[in-house]
Amino acid sequence: MKGLAYQLKSVRKDKFCIISFLLPIIVAVALHFTGGIDLSSIAEFHFGVLENDLSAPAVSWLERYGTVSIFKTQEELTAEINDPSTNVIGVKADGSNIRTMVSGDEIDLFCQTADTLPLLYAHREMAEQAEVTYLERSNIMEGLQNIFIAITLIAAMFMGCTFNAVNIISEKENGIDFVNQILPVTQSRLMLQKIFVGFAGGCLSAVLTACICFRLPPERIFLMLALIILSSFVAALVGLFIGKFSESLMTGVACIKVVMIVFMAVPVFFYFSGTGSLLWMLCYLVPSNAAFEGIMNLAEGGKQVIAKDMLLLMAHCVSWFLLYLSISGWKKAPVLSMVRIR
Amino acid sequence: MWKNFCSLLKKDFQIMVDGKFFLISLGSLILYTLFINFGYIRFVNDRLYNVYLYDPCGAFEQADKLIHPVESMEELNAALSTDTNGVGIDASLGVPEIILYVGKEKVDHHRADYALSLLQPGGKYTARITGTNTKELKQRKEMCCELLFIEIVAVGFLGIASVLFKEKQMGVIRVHGVLPLEMSLFLLSKMTIFLLSDLIFAALMAVLNIGPWVTAGILPAVLLQTAILSLLMALTGLGCAMLLNDFRQFSLAYLVIAFFVSVPVFFSANTSVKMAWIDWHPFYQIYMGLKNACFGTPVINPAYYIRCVCGIIFLFLIVQAAFRREMGKEG
Repeated sequence: MKGLAYQLKSVRKDKFCIISFLLPIIVAVALHFTGGIDLSSIAEFHFGVLENDLSAPAVSWLERYGTVSIFKTQEELTAEINDPSTNVIGVKADGSNIRTMVSGDEIDLFCQTADTLPLLYAHREMAEQAEVTYLERSNIMEGLQNIFIAITLIAAMFMGCTFNAVNIISEKENGIDFVNQILPVTQSRLMLQKIFVGFAGGCLSAVLTACICFRLPPERIFLMLALIILSSFVAALVGLFIGKFSESLMTGVACIKVVMIVFMAVPVFFYFSGTGSLLWMLCYLVPSNAAFEGIMNLAEGGKQVIAKDMLLLMAHCVSWFLLYLSISGWKKAPVLSMVRIR
Repeated sequence: MWKNFCSLLKKDFQIMVDGKFFLISLGSLILYTLFINFGYIRFVNDRLYNVYLYDPCGAFEQADKLIHPVESMEELNAALSTDTNGVGIDASLGVPEIILYVGKEKVDHHRADYALSLLQPGGKYTARITGTNTKELKQRKEMCCELLFIEIVAVGFLGIASVLFKEKQMGVIRVHGVLPLEMSLFLLSKMTIFLLSDLIFAALMAVLNIGPWVTAGILPAVLLQTAILSLLMALTGLGCAMLLNDFRQFSLAYLVIAFFVSVPVFFSANTSVKMAWIDWHPFYQIYMGLKNACFGTPVINPAYYIRCVCGIIFLFLIVQAAFRREMGKEG
């Protein structure tokens, strides 16, 4: 217990660990209190029209579907359509109908919209008479902002690896690693202490982040907590690996960076790529993928799928733990004791 | 002087080899290339909404083939609950009634109207194409540019710090104070080696991911923008490494640069969301310069290049002053 207190004290004094701990919480606060950035315009269509070309009713009709920007010349309009950062659909008058222009490099959604827009315009009167029934979505998280929240939570959960990795590397650099070898402490106990340091840091950071940016009904809070605990445990094990294989803080930071990029990029890729492919199955090899899927499913209320994510995370916990044991060697006896040296 | 410069260059090259810098860059290059060729361009796509029609009376038999017919209302509801972006049409009473899960208001209008338009037979129309890029080429250029930017801003910045902190710890900088060498050579050799490394990386990224023929046309502009970014980042990295005491402090600055600086740049440059202050963000200007170069429309505004040169000179002077201070610590 005393050893653990020393480990936690050492982490508490490390600015790098403090920043790593606070970073997801700061992002969560920013997302929560500032309301984030207005992402609604991303989901909408953007149309570009020429000044004095389309009639006012036609412009109003376009505004039902998205934002309309007016350009003075054809060159300006074409430049905006061709701008790789935008997906503007150019709309011009064509007698009583309209015609559209696209850059040709957009994803299919925008090209298909441009192809079908004149037909929609021709049938606009029929569309106005149609009856529309809207069904409520059960999804708590909305739009693209959900992904930011989920990714922030993933960062907090897996940031735990930073705490014990940096702690182990610092000990290596300061020579404390050698001192540890002659202390009357077993390697297994030392390893458990290091796991606890990463686990506690990751858990605490993730719980605070979740409290700030995630609103859940009480019955799902325990599921979220279970996801956080399992993920933080895997993160602590990842931290052990980084600490073991990094000889200097620079290598350690580079490794943490790569791990965090992979842990955040793979779930996002998985989310957008859809299901079914071999690559999709391979994504589950990254532990954050199951955690990300769990968070998104939790928000949508799919308990059955969460069970699958929990099982996957448990499998990761066991396999990472066994892998670490197999490469480090589980030793019960002290390596060297002070008594023996005397 | 040239001989001294070559010796310094050789020494820096050796430090980078020992620090596995080139190995990390090669690993990044392979990872990025695999991601672009086997991941990004294959999976990033989005199509218009699926439309499901329940039409027991057969009132809309001439409907478009894009419509998915369903046999019952249960089947229609089940289809919509799994595909919440889809649109359902209930034509059991002879007139179409649209059913959809609520989303963004304007998008919902389009979803409903699009579904209705498929019920009416209409001639095939194709929008006029005004650009020269295909969808795949755009995705390749876009991702290549983003990853190149990340590599130089994040990995290169970390690399230069790792080299310099190693030398700082070994006392090499203070030894330079008593060597009969031109002081700026020390900085120039580091900048040169990082510049060359980044230029080679940029060229390989472009050739492997955009394709050799397209790259041939855009390479000079891409290399020019890469050189500007590389010099700025190398000097920033050198400055931070000189002014900060140890790598631990540097890693905090690194976190700020890698996270808070890059995120708004990517957000503004790749989506239609524009933040009012983003034009004042220096990294945004440079990122856009790189992106425009990748898309064959390089920046021609001389003010941009003047600002870049001034920025590089300003940073160089700061780094030189920090270098003098570091050498002066020896007395």
